[in-house]
Amino acid sequence: MLASLENVTKRYRTTDGVRDLSLGFPVGEIVGVLGLNGSGKSTMLKLLAGLLLPTAGTVAVFGGSARGNRARTVFLGETDTLWPWMMPSDASRFMEGLYPDFDVARFHKLLDVLEVPRRKTKAMSKGERGRLRLAMSLARSVKLYLLDEPLAGIDLISREKIMTSLVREWHTDETILLSTHQVAEAEGLFDRAIYLREGRLALDAGAEALRERGKSVVQTFKEVLA
Amino acid sequence: MAIKYAWALDMDAGPIFEQIGRNVREQLARGELRPGDRLPSARDLAGQLSVNPNTIVHAYAELEAQGILEKRRGLGTFVREDAPVKTMRKDMLKQSAKTFADEARRLGVEGEEAAAAWKGAWDAR
Repeated sequence: MLASLENVTKRYRTTDGVRDLSLGFPVGEIVGVLGLNGSGKSTMLKLLAGLLLPTAGTVAVFGGSARGNRARTVFLGETDTLWPWMMPSDASRFMEGLYPDFDVARFHKLLDVLEVPRRKTKAMSKGERGRLRLAMSLARSVKLYLLDEPLAGIDLISREKIMTSLVREWHTDETILLSTHQVAEAEGLFDRAIYLREGRLALDAGAEALRERGKSVVQTFKEVLA
Repeated sequence: MAIKYAWALDMDAGPIFEQIGRNVREQLARGELRPGDRLPSARDLAGQLSVNPNTIVHAYAELEAQGILEKRRGLGTFVREDAPVKTMRKDMLKQSAKTFADEARRLGVEGEEAAAAWKGAWDAR
């Protein structure tokens, strides 16, 4: 397993983020992390990213702790932390300074594929900034990508560009966990779908296996989480 | 070479790998794809369809097992020269005829009337 959660609970002050969650992620899967708001998707991704520590249970990444391997995973969160004065070229220098695994050539290729305009982020649309942030994330060469809602709040064309570049840039020895509410648009990307409900695992199934039984990932979402 | 026909995927219509397979067979039966043609790489087609590349690889492997496609080392995936195009065309025609016959039966129509309706539709174009 590339990463795993074993009986993991993350308790916040008043609520549980995830409850007794056990999951394994092998090499080379694109996993859809699905659930309603507050179902624990972000918490799970942040635990794997080492940004949160579990209250109970074990989170393992690359055979060690998630926190210890923080520098070797990519986490793309929902918060847009780009400086307003940043150009894509500034973002490149910023990422190079921070991460030795940042591939400048790959970044520029991604800027082209995602059609990110070469101007300051304050002059970009939300979709353009979302594409820039994705390019920054995918230009790092790691084995585990944790993408939290990369399709949220941006336009259809941007979403399509993002999905196309995800498919094109993905290597078969990399694992991607992607949380999204855009289940219908993204379902073709998934090898596997994980459905969370109130912090617990509601269903873990292969996407093609679901369709084999005549149920799309979307249809299953409605049935499992209704 | 580019695939000329649009790939229609329906997430409620069974596994994607089967739909891709059906699509390739249909394109061959219609002559939109011919023996010797090269198919898009799994990655290209996956990007085009926003589908997991593993799924395309699976679809191509199935079509290879059915004697329709072949991998040529370093060159890509091609339609085999001896791909059973005639058989596929016949099968598809049979399938369409069956759909029509079933529908006519549901309408309570006699065979002769159905045949006449078919003839009318055929001549009308």
